[in-house]
Amino acid sequence: MVEIKDPKSKKYDRQLRIWGAHGQAALESAKICLLNCGPTGSETLKNLVLGGIAGFTIVDGSKVEQQDLGNNFLLSEADLGHSKAQGVSSLLKELNDSVTGGFVETDPEQLINDQPAFFNNFSLVIATQLREATMLKLDDICRAEGVKLLAVRSYGLVATLRVSAAEHAIVETKPDNAVGDLRFHAPWKELHDFAMSFKLAEMDEIMHKHLPFAILLIQAVGHWKAGHQGKLPSGSKERTDFKALLKSWQRQIDGIPVEEENFSEAMTNASKVWSQHGIPSEVQAILEDDCMNLNSSSSTFWCLAAALKRFIEQEGQGCLPLEGTLPDMHATTDLYLQLQRVYQTKAESDVTAVETHLRAILKDNASSISSISRAEVKLFCKNARHLRLVRFRRLSEEFGISCKHNVLRQALTAEDQATNATLYILLRAVDRFYESHKHFPGTFDSPPESEIPMLKAKAGALLSEVGASPSPAWDDCLAEMCRFGAGELHCVAAIIAGMAAQEGIKLLTKQFVPQSGTLVYNAMGSTTSVFCL
Amino acid sequence: MNGEAASPGWPQVVRAKLLQQRMKEAKILAVGAGGIGCELLKTLALSGFENVQVVDMDTIETSNLNRQFLFRKRHVGQSKAKVAAEAVQRFRPSCKINAMQANIKEPQYNVGWFKGFDLVLNGLDNLDARRHVNRLCLAAEVPLVESGTAAYLGQVTVHIKGTYECFECQPKATPKTYPVCTIRNTPDKPIHCIVWAKDLLFQRLFGRADVVSDLDEAAEKAEGETEGDAAAAAEQEASFFVRQTGESSFAYADRVFHRVFCFDIERVISMKDLWKTRKPPVPLRLDELRHAAAGAASTNGIHKSSSSQQATADLSACRLLGIRDSHAAWSTAQSAQVFLMATQLFLDLRSDEVGAAVFDKDDALAVEFVAAASNLRSTCYSISPLSLFDIKGMAGNIVHAIATTNAIVSGLIVAEAIKLLAGMPENCRATHLRSSVHTGRSGRERIIGPSMLEPPNPNCPVCGTAQLSLEIDTHKTTFKELLDRVVRRKLAVAQPTIQYDGFMYEEGPDLDEDEVADYAKFLGRPLHTLPAGGIKDSSVVEVSDQAQKLELSIIVTHQEEWDEEKDPEAFSLGGKLPVASADAPAEDSSVAGLSSLTGANDDDEGIEEVFEEPAFEARPNLTSKRKRSDEEQSPIEKRLKAANNLGEDCEVID
Ligand SMILES: [Zn+2]
Repeated sequence: MVEIKDPKSKKYDRQLRIWGAHGQAALESAKICLLNCGPTGSETLKNLVLGGIAGFTIVDGSKVEQQDLGNNFLLSEADLGHSKAQGVSSLLKELNDSVTGGFVETDPEQLINDQPAFFNNFSLVIATQLREATMLKLDDICRAEGVKLLAVRSYGLVATLRVSAAEHAIVETKPDNAVGDLRFHAPWKELHDFAMSFKLAEMDEIMHKHLPFAILLIQAVGHWKAGHQGKLPSGSKERTDFKALLKSWQRQIDGIPVEEENFSEAMTNASKVWSQHGIPSEVQAILEDDCMNLNSSSSTFWCLAAALKRFIEQEGQGCLPLEGTLPDMHATTDLYLQLQRVYQTKAESDVTAVETHLRAILKDNASSISSISRAEVKLFCKNARHLRLVRFRRLSEEFGISCKHNVLRQALTAEDQATNATLYILLRAVDRFYESHKHFPGTFDSPPESEIPMLKAKAGALLSEVGASPSPAWDDCLAEMCRFGAGELHCVAAIIAGMAAQEGIKLLTKQFVPQSGTLVYNAMGSTTSVFCL
Repeated sequence: MNGEAASPGWPQVVRAKLLQQRMKEAKILAVGAGGIGCELLKTLALSGFENVQVVDMDTIETSNLNRQFLFRKRHVGQSKAKVAAEAVQRFRPSCKINAMQANIKEPQYNVGWFKGFDLVLNGLDNLDARRHVNRLCLAAEVPLVESGTAAYLGQVTVHIKGTYECFECQPKATPKTYPVCTIRNTPDKPIHCIVWAKDLLFQRLFGRADVVSDLDEAAEKAEGETEGDAAAAAEQEASFFVRQTGESSFAYADRVFHRVFCFDIERVISMKDLWKTRKPPVPLRLDELRHAAAGAASTNGIHKSSSSQQATADLSACRLLGIRDSHAAWSTAQSAQVFLMATQLFLDLRSDEVGAAVFDKDDALAVEFVAAASNLRSTCYSISPLSLFDIKGMAGNIVHAIATTNAIVSGLIVAEAIKLLAGMPENCRATHLRSSVHTGRSGRERIIGPSMLEPPNPNCPVCGTAQLSLEIDTHKTTFKELLDRVVRRKLAVAQPTIQYDGFMYEEGPDLDEDEVADYAKFLGRPLHTLPAGGIKDSSVVEVSDQAQKLELSIIVTHQEEWDEEKDPEAFSLGGKLPVASADAPAEDSSVAGLSSLTGANDDDEGIEEVFEEPAFEARPNLTSKRKRSDEEQSPIEKRLKAANNLGEDCEVID
């Protein structure tokens, strides 16, 4: 008898239900590098360790002091005077025994300057509490090696989060309100024939009210097209007429239509006949991307996209592969199953067609990819309508002259964003303050208020680069920024760390769409804003 | 309120010595030590709170370990509250955390006890307990910070009596219900078979014999028998599932299989009316399946020695059968094997539990049994079988949970708690955590969206003066059914007192035996035959709960006609506009003591953002919505609702 233990699936049961076994497998192969392990960094990594990453390396050159115990849960009295990276690393390993961990007792800034190759082998680098100048260097290093970067920072009651990566392609975007494509507007032959094989007029009462609404709609579309030069109903007048046509097929008693659930479903779903069934603009952009000129080192995503393009041009006749899922509808179990089979068969044959193109493409380009499983092709086809490609802006673009100043200007005058935009500018100003004064405002011996004018000068300069004038909250925010004294409050750190880990999981599992810009969290007003700069 | 003018000016306050002192001294009640609770206790301790009471009745399970980070493998089986408190205290000895492993609904946690706290923070996962805590907070006039999560979604709300809505001002969706006839005779979805396997079959075979499921009782009547016949049939059916003396576990499993997947199916097929518009089911024959199955179950029964002293908690039929992949659906033969093996394992190795077992989603053997039984039934009814993993999720109403959401939500709870302690309830917000990219009408991305807290709803039956209306068959419904199905299940009343002109009924530990016995006599009587004229059309019934300080008034309408498809519960409960509006909202006394800290509230920087879309729809009445209307809601609405209703979205109600 074989003993099978599967403790992992039990341990991760609740999250497996969100990102699936393949998502979990991606997490379990991820190697994370954390720079600085204050509360923000430690809490972020803690969340990922609980999720079950493969391993981590913490880089932090500092020793544990009394004040660290006040805001970092992963350190205890016994760690006082010892390496902070070591303390956090050993406790994190205790949280999940399938995660391996290590540490380097060096200042991250020094490592970035001296050993750029250090970062090459990580899946994700999480840089916390680093200043602008250091982040710029790190971004260049990570981009050159295709390593994804997550910048996280908490500063008093404000926190920020930013992803940087040259390219992040997502198959499973998992949109909230996806409407499946049921091809009512253009049924393929088998579906058309199946739908037309039912003669409404000849049916008994029971059959009549159990004919799935999908069949009703396909019949109605056929009927409509025949009388309108093959065109679908357009405009509200024609759409009303289309519904009237459906209604006229309902059974009547003394001229009054009998209530039939399948018909009311057909009415509510009639809009699916004329709603968008083209190729969404995000997907179109992918199909026209420069990366579609494949070479031997093109990624799986681009090879699949190329196969998809050929399918659309050939078998698909302009359509994406069929998803193949049929929503629940009022019908006899038997009819429902038959109809479901029609959809599934077509979806399978579309997958086969895409797969055939893919094999040819891999061969033609002498691709280095050893294999792409049918399951992968299937997943790609099923999600073809929702594919997304995100190219994050370089930090040097955001922090330099190509920053989208107009976005900032607009935010500074928008009622619901002005404060967060102001805080964004001030967070950049404190870094400039540091470059000049070698400390953050409010952390020196003098009272915090005395440094307000110096910070105001830095912030004012930034503001004029942006070409904006101060928002009404300007002076108050300046004063707050000085009072924060660069402190990390645990509750703010915990919140931004939760969000950071969530973005990290999206990047690692390639599921859901990550934030595309810089996120500012403001604990005072419980608000977040995202600025794409 | 104008966005930029409103000033949540707590940054200055947060650093004030006075506030730090206040946080140090504040007595905090944290209810729940699970996913949110662990994070919450940690964040409280590291934010400077030093007096925390935590209450949680649960023990630690393996599936908690990936997000309830205070627990280790060695703690499995121990009290969540106690282990969490010890863990936090070991790291922060200055923080005193008092832990109790108990149900917050127990009577010792009364209004007086709640009054001993400055703030109550909820990290609970069941609606019933959340409603109970809400009522006690209202009665004790203690501010409540409420929270809920589901996958990437979460929310934190603040409730202050007289100032803001209470937790129940917006009606909560009640558990989903399925028509009995569908479950018993005409399932057409996997969930119908799962409910049957879990609530009917598992209960029959391994559960308490005296717990007659609503499903059994009503179903027999539904088949058109008289009361007497129904009772006899139910008894006969129940006795069939009792194991005979000397009967081997193998023979028993065999007998049950034949009964439920062959004999019962044939009996249902004979009810011709049911199959006029449906395809009749097909019975399963065990001998054919066993032929197809390779290693059939042991005919000799299974003994402890033969399975190498496995802990009973680890028993698994799949493991013994070598079925590894929990994500693939089993073949019918495999389902039959698992069914037989799981039944045998239960009888042979967990015999002490038979007759008292309760289905638990983390009990591997119980889940395997339910999965096998529901898949076999699905096969009979041409419904596609599901994987063990999927069935476990559906049977256990498992809420998707991830560490990151808990971390964010707990931080948000503490942020609101600090505002309350700073004496700034006007700066509190309801905060909604959305999934990744939520693009509002402005086209802007955001993760966290705050919204202004609403004043109390005068139509709220809990904190307002609303009257409820109840339509029910007062001739057929017994007093016990009214208590169980309406008063306890729908209204979440723990210890009801029922009164109407000339009649009173009470429950509770203070009653002596004679009183209990006297009251018990009324339980089986139909409503209209109760004393003093009974409960009939137009009766006004007062329902109260002393511990919850709750008083509800219900006006009854007699209704005989019920459509089983639409209203399987055969009653309908609705809200009714109040006769007179509530008193003007009073100055809130519970936070008045904190307002001495508002000195720093002169900061007029505005950081207030109003969330653009209401996250929850306010429902016009309490009637549980039917299936169809549920499906019309967008997935996000559904999930938000789930976030609000953690884990209680599926339950059979007759
Ligand atoms: Zn209320």
